[in-house]
Amino acid sequence: MLRIAIVGCGKVADQHVHAIWRIPDCEIVAVCDRELLMAKQLGERIGVAASYSDLEEMLETVRPDVVHITTPPQSHFSLARQCLEFGTHLYLEKPFTITATEAESLIDFVESCGLKITAGHNYLFTLEMLQMRRLIKTGFLGGPPIHLESYWSYELGDTSYVAPMLGNRNHWVRQLPGQLFHNIISHGIAKLAEFLDDELTEIAATAHQSEQLRSLGAQEVMDELRVLIRDKSGTTAFFCFSTQIKGLNQLRVYGPANSITADIITGSLVRNTSRSYKSYLTYFIPPLRNAKEHFRNAQCNIANFLRRRLYQDFGMKELMERFYDSIRTEMAPPIPYREILLTARMMDEIFAQIYPSKTQSSRVKGQQKVAHGAASTLSPPLTVNR
Amino acid sequence: MQTLQLSTSLGYSKSHLVCEGNTGSTKGRQTIIFEEVNSNYIVSPDDLVLVTGSSGFIGAKVVEILLEYGFCKLRCFVRPSSQLSRLQKTIARFDGRPIVELVAGDLLSPEDCAKATENVSIIYHLAAGFDKSFAGAFMTSALGTRNLLDAFLKVGKPRRFVNVSSFAVYSNVDLKGYAVLDETCPLENAPQERFDAYGFGKLKQEEVVKQYARGHHLPYVILRPGYVFGPGKRELSGRVGINTFGFFVQINGSNLLPLSFVDNCAEAIVLAGIRPGLEGEVFNIVDDESVSARTFLAAYKNKVSVFSVRIPYGVGYILSLLWEKYAKWSKNQLPPVFNRRRCSAEWKGNRYSNEKLHERLGWQPRVPMKQAMARFLAQFDSGSNQE
Repeated sequence: MLRIAIVGCGKVADQHVHAIWRIPDCEIVAVCDRELLMAKQLGERIGVAASYSDLEEMLETVRPDVVHITTPPQSHFSLARQCLEFGTHLYLEKPFTITATEAESLIDFVESCGLKITAGHNYLFTLEMLQMRRLIKTGFLGGPPIHLESYWSYELGDTSYVAPMLGNRNHWVRQLPGQLFHNIISHGIAKLAEFLDDELTEIAATAHQSEQLRSLGAQEVMDELRVLIRDKSGTTAFFCFSTQIKGLNQLRVYGPANSITADIITGSLVRNTSRSYKSYLTYFIPPLRNAKEHFRNAQCNIANFLRRRLYQDFGMKELMERFYDSIRTEMAPPIPYREILLTARMMDEIFAQIYPSKTQSSRVKGQQKVAHGAASTLSPPLTVNR
Repeated sequence: MQTLQLSTSLGYSKSHLVCEGNTGSTKGRQTIIFEEVNSNYIVSPDDLVLVTGSSGFIGAKVVEILLEYGFCKLRCFVRPSSQLSRLQKTIARFDGRPIVELVAGDLLSPEDCAKATENVSIIYHLAAGFDKSFAGAFMTSALGTRNLLDAFLKVGKPRRFVNVSSFAVYSNVDLKGYAVLDETCPLENAPQERFDAYGFGKLKQEEVVKQYARGHHLPYVILRPGYVFGPGKRELSGRVGINTFGFFVQINGSNLLPLSFVDNCAEAIVLAGIRPGLEGEVFNIVDDESVSARTFLAAYKNKVSVFSVRIPYGVGYILSLLWEKYAKWSKNQLPPVFNRRRCSAEWKGNRYSNEKLHERLGWQPRVPMKQAMARFLAQFDSGSNQE
């Protein structure tokens, strides 16, 4: 039985609790928040009596096997370090750390002492993403990916999140080097990291503020981001974060033969075959094939619903379960460390380009400064040596 | 009792006020004699009063009524991101006479709370969080209140803390249908089962206030308004009907709504802050006249085109039970948004009492129900910009 503690008892902690409850052979043994009332309210609701406001005291008293850190990202590094030094495995919510340097330090530490760590990139483990991985393994793409596209839209319609952030310069999101992007884009960037080489030769990021955000009085906060990436082997990727495009949350992977679109919002996986047809059949057959794909997805989702697998945080539960299994069995953790680091590196570089004044880039010293919105040819390449 | 004469275009009718003109109409101006803050109250007009949530639907009206009562030193606490148009309009009506100070801040910041409560004698605490998560609701309701109380006791001149809670804190599971729900009824002891984060936040907020009363002798009053309606709030309460499925489903059409017109509610809130001898009391706020959900929805449908179906309470209860069971069986694949506790709380058909409000506060509704409904519905007329 794995004994789990949660540090940070805000909204995300509730999601963690519900995901953990679905996993056999583990139990939540303590909750901790620097605001004791927050810890108590969570403990009371989930039936855990051990509530703490002091992490050290909690670690000493409860001695959990795994700690989940769900605090604002500014505290991730120091809390994570404290837990790791105590000897617990760690599930660290996204964004993993503020900078890639911090991420490297944590991963170096876990590797040196035989502990396990994972990042809260739970959208890598949704049903359609798992299906996509299986399909790629069968060789459906016809070779390594040539191009990737990751779209992540975030609606400002629900202002309960953005309004307090926009109204308060001291809000923790405003203090992040990448501001609004920093707290959200790691999900979309992590999907690219899975397919990109460790060495990136080019990243070009451009960002701006939407009219809608301007009307909300957002000052310097930007909410539209586009990024072009190229790795050493020539694979290219495009990342788009938008508050203005509605309902677009996809990963598209293009191979030499075929391509795949994983749609997180509709829970669909669409296989696009590049087969050619004679004459007018080009106009008739492919749309029918697409219709068949969508019908298959509807069937699949209905089946998953009936099997009680279509719940909201399936990806989180799946990631946690795989992480716990890796702890028990000494297997590799579900998200390779090179992907966590590559995600952190890409985010560093993007923020250095779009918020140059706010960012202390983790890039190699002596590299040229990159102007806002300009392409950066990385020399030496952005490398993750793992 | 001294009186202060003010001119207003609002259509108030109040039994002990001298009203001229056609009540309910905004065409004619009326001369209304208002009670001035005097020795019958626990504070004087010069005492500093803080209103949190003052830019909100009820908060702005509370500010308006405080100004009408003659308070001349108000501090309005607003979120930095709040839309202030409603409050600014209210303040503009009293241009030049009172001092109204706007303080922008976050109740989760002890520093902001200290700024807001310095030298304050009365706090009307209306700020509410509508976060859908339990943790978020707790943070905005309970933690914010704790910070506010800490600051009030430290840098304020505490005479009274008026905590505006909600009907959502009650449980009527053990009450029979048609029984009267009043201030003596039990509070909800399983807000999570009811899947009501807002109610949970309000319950915890009340607990914090009562703890401070016990530990720090905080003078407080708790108010629990029912369904507050009026111009400026267009959405309907779930008690009238739920539109989760793209159309209105009304459960138990004969269910009486705990209606409180915003002007009437705001005046009760104001009185709770200034009447003597109310420490530690709890008041429900509902109007004198009740309207059934069926009548309310019918009146709404005369103005807004919506499709609706009505189901009896028994059917609603069984469906809620099935939903609840499925949510449990499927481990929240569908969250238990419909459940027996909610069904009971919102649609059981209880009646409501405002006897205590009349007796202890000397409150009378300013706006009778017929007029209140007319003003609420007028906002749906085409071209209406009524707030």
